[in-house]
Amino acid sequence: MSIHNEALKRSGHSSGKHAPAPHPVALETSELTVAYGSFLAVRGVSLSVRRNSIHSIIGPNGAGKTTLFHALTGRVRPSAGSIRLDDKDISHTRDDDRVRLGIARSFQVTSLFPNLSVQENLRLASQGRTPWQALAPWRSINHNKEAMATAGEVMERLSLTQVAGRAAGELSHGQQRRLEVGMALAARPRVILMDEPTSGMGVDDIEAMKELIRSLAADHTVIFVEHNMGIVMNISDTVTVMRAGQKLVEGTPAEIRDDPEVRRAYLGNMITGDIA
Amino acid sequence: MKTINNPIFHFFLAALTVVCLPLFLRSGVLASEILIFGLAVAACNLLLGFTGLLSFGQGIFFGVGSYVAGILLTRYQIPVPLMLLLSVVLGALIAVAVGWLSIRRQGVYFVMLTLAFSQFFFFLAYSFSGLTGGDNGILDVPRPVIAGFDFTNLWSYYWFVAVIFLAVFALMLRTTQSTFGRTLSAIRENEARASAVGFPVRAFKIAAFAISGAVTALAGALHAMLIGVAPLSSIEYHTSEIILIMTIIGGSGNLFASLLGAGTYMLLADVLSTIWPRWLLLLGVALIVVALFMQRGLWGLIETLVSHITATSKRTPNAATERPLHRQADGGKA
Repeated sequence: MSIHNEALKRSGHSSGKHAPAPHPVALETSELTVAYGSFLAVRGVSLSVRRNSIHSIIGPNGAGKTTLFHALTGRVRPSAGSIRLDDKDISHTRDDDRVRLGIARSFQVTSLFPNLSVQENLRLASQGRTPWQALAPWRSINHNKEAMATAGEVMERLSLTQVAGRAAGELSHGQQRRLEVGMALAARPRVILMDEPTSGMGVDDIEAMKELIRSLAADHTVIFVEHNMGIVMNISDTVTVMRAGQKLVEGTPAEIRDDPEVRRAYLGNMITGDIA
Repeated sequence: MKTINNPIFHFFLAALTVVCLPLFLRSGVLASEILIFGLAVAACNLLLGFTGLLSFGQGIFFGVGSYVAGILLTRYQIPVPLMLLLSVVLGALIAVAVGWLSIRRQGVYFVMLTLAFSQFFFFLAYSFSGLTGGDNGILDVPRPVIAGFDFTNLWSYYWFVAVIFLAVFALMLRTTQSTFGRTLSAIRENEARASAVGFPVRAFKIAAFAISGAVTALAGALHAMLIGVAPLSSIEYHTSEIILIMTIIGGSGNLFASLLGAGTYMLLADVLSTIWPRWLLLLGVALIVVALFMQRGLWGLIETLVSHITATSKRTPNAATERPLHRQADGGKA
């Protein structure tokens, strides 16, 4: 607990007090615990993610980052503790319901609808906000004008307009990774959760992705799990370091880089990259 | 390829089939059975081809429709349109129950559950012989006479079936092209992503089951009126198997492929059974060939042929423009 409090103080947050509106904290976890049988993959993690900030979660393999990520997306249910989105408890809300509340995610391994066109992928992602409308078998796909418009806007933003009609599975890896992020964007979320967004990318594509994530913070809150320390240290406002299922430390990239405990956890040689 | 995979073209092909069957077939029973099983196979295709659910429970819904026709027409003299409506409703309700329980498991366990339900409903029908006639089924199921129109003659009944077939086929085409149908395709393609973008996947699968059950039960009711019996065999596992085989032979990519599969199976069965009493063995060989060499079914074969024919005109301009477009988009600023 002392580590959590200290970390929160360092990052200038207070988990106990909230302004009425707009809530300064977009997403918050309190003593979040996820157990797989008797094994505690995440133990009492408290996070406080500021609105419109970029918050990264790092840690060595087995630190519990992915489990924490799954708990935030709703894929796994917490065993104890709570998750609050804009001060609303969503701890036991299903993953598809969380989309309607304003949380969207991207996957580490590209996860698209490979035989559907780029436009259709994005239209479906946008339609996911009002999924019950899609249950009507008499409604044409053009019925939801907003979803069509959103798909167009996202394609424009991600430079995918020229491949709008192409099957997602036929795109290059870089394009697929952009579409992966686009699928999250199309849900018009307030909070975007990204699981290793640069996974498997080439150098040029990584730079483009970095700029994209940075630009997302203008109108979204971004939480991402990432192994690429260059990106983490460059674009994050806050970094949470995890080890053995617990939050080791939290702070700005500069604080994290100089933290002796973090250096020990990473054997001193992984925290690199320029600080923006 | 877009032309032959256009839903309007598929409806045109279905209508053409309806018109041509009486010209080429002498048996009104065979022609009607092709359309009736065409409906049941299209309903199976909605689950298998569009949603990715391999259901061995289709015989349940077919049998339910058959028994609804048998019971309501022979014991209660209920008007045929009302009976058809009730068979559709009951088929949908039972499909919702079967679907709701089966989709709780995935892959092989889902298949095993539908198979278990198939056996369960068969033994229910067998055990409640007072209601279903047991081994004998329900005999003397009449063909309809509606508003002075007599459909008791085989070929006039064919046209009765044909009108219903075309109406339901059109509705199903609309369904597959709707936002609902596209969502089913998304679930088939990537269920985890469909859920992650916000779709309540279970609700969509249950809705697909409901539509499939309703249409299959309708086919079962039409079949009972065609052959004049609601037999125990209509709810047997073997009926589910036949419907699945027809679906796979035709191809699961679109709904006309279902009619193609039903027609091919029925015609092959008709021809082969006159050549050799053990014709099912030959059908087994045909299925092995499809499974090994034509995994997209007969429709896939047609697609391949069409693409070969149009290859020359396709090759020239597009190949030159597509690659630079790809590179340009790839290099674009994200």
